[in-house]
Amino acid sequence: MMMDGATEADLFLHCTDMSVLERQRAHLNYHHPGLDSTLAGFFSDSSMIHAGGFLGTAGLEFPVIYGETTMESESRLSISPEKITPASFGSGNFKKRKFDSVVTETKDLDEKKKKKKMRNREEVEVEVEEEEKSKITEQNNESTKSIMKMNKKSRKEQNDCSNGSSKVTKEMQKSDYIHVRARRGQATDSHSIAERARREKISERMKFLQDLVPGCDKITGKAGMLDEIINYVQSLQRQVEFLSMKLAAVSPRMDFDIDEFFAKEVVSAPVTNLANNVTPSHEMVNCCYPHEMVNSGYLHFNPMQQHQNCQAPSMWDSDVQNLYSSLGV
Amino acid sequence: MQPTSSMKEEFLKKWQMGIQICGPSIDNTSVSERKKVIKLSADVAMASLRKGTTCWSRALIQKTATEDNSLVRQMLSGIKAETLINKTLPKKTLCHRKIVRRSKKILMRRNARSASEEAAAKAKKLVKRKTQGLRSVVPGGEFMNNDVLLIQETLDYIVSLQTQVNVMRSIVDATEAGIER
Repeated sequence: MMMDGATEADLFLHCTDMSVLERQRAHLNYHHPGLDSTLAGFFSDSSMIHAGGFLGTAGLEFPVIYGETTMESESRLSISPEKITPASFGSGNFKKRKFDSVVTETKDLDEKKKKKKMRNREEVEVEVEEEEKSKITEQNNESTKSIMKMNKKSRKEQNDCSNGSSKVTKEMQKSDYIHVRARRGQATDSHSIAERARREKISERMKFLQDLVPGCDKITGKAGMLDEIINYVQSLQRQVEFLSMKLAAVSPRMDFDIDEFFAKEVVSAPVTNLANNVTPSHEMVNCCYPHEMVNSGYLHFNPMQQHQNCQAPSMWDSDVQNLYSSLGV
Repeated sequence: MQPTSSMKEEFLKKWQMGIQICGPSIDNTSVSERKKVIKLSADVAMASLRKGTTCWSRALIQKTATEDNSLVRQMLSGIKAETLINKTLPKKTLCHRKIVRRSKKILMRRNARSASEEAAAKAKKLVKRKTQGLRSVVPGGEFMNNDVLLIQETLDYIVSLQTQVNVMRSIVDATEAGIER
């Protein structure tokens, strides 16, 4: 069972996949302890092979590295000792892998590789953990399948199976963070996907703006819409300017009772008790600003027209005139 | 997204507070002075509605603080005025004009375009210019180098402006009605 069929190089190439299988089996055992007996039945001939015995032979052949291999095997076994020892199969694979490494590498190279393997194993562990979280049943099915195939002792199939399981994990990892889908004919590299997401965001916001800005819903095209938005914002700013000026002119002492006003504003009724503070000169100012101008949505006011409408421009406060010119409209 | 009544109420309260703070000092000043104060307090009230969470409000507060620091400080006493005024805006991206122009020329030379591509490029240019225009209109817009951010802030700014205009207009209407009677 240990050396049959496969070349050493082949085994070496798939050593990480082997560890995946090992893990899978460990999980399987963990979740279905009843399967242990069947496993034992399947591999009754090989399950009795003792790790120590094998290591003994390895140690005999390569006495220099013996200590290291035992160390690593111990560390490996310590992660899940009860799970791996009954599945002697996995540990057997592992031993073989050690054996390969012993054959091909020198001592210090071996150390480097060990580190690398540790890293690999960590990655695999992470993968397997994720798998465990999400698709336990599927994994169990797959691992049972793999066991059946291994029972036939066909190396290739085993490798394929392990590759398949690793593929599944990779696909699942991918599906975790990709949300943007490319339609037919669209580019799929990360930059274009990001750009597309950005554009979608902008168009979504622009739709909100269209709802907000009056008269903007009839305009198609981004440039026209932006134009309309700029106009609207400017008109609002001008309105604020104009209204504040008007307020300054209307209530010079600025002690109008906003609280009372607000109480009535909720009922949307006009307030009457503000007349006390008004000086008579401001009635003139009021007549200079026609009421409909204030109420119109857009306030593109025209000073020339105002002058024509005004019957007595000479009666204006010089202050107010200055203000008008300072508005720059 | 129409201005809500709660926003209006809050704005009105803040604005009233601002006017009351500087009420006695400007009793006998000219109309332009009064107008300035009203405008400033309305602006600060509008900006403080957002409590400094948006870029435009921070920029507006900074701008008004340069004109009348004490008023802004008093109005924003509820919020941490100092942090708002001195809050650094996102840095403006500066690039050397000559270098940009030169690189653009090189790019133009490199891809001689067809007629349709030319039209698309023109439209793109127009949109870019309009976006720049919007940046200059929205306070603090020149700091928003992100288009999505700019549009979002514009949305918020427009809602706040609508609130401001609505409240101010209703007050003006009310005072006018008072005068007429």
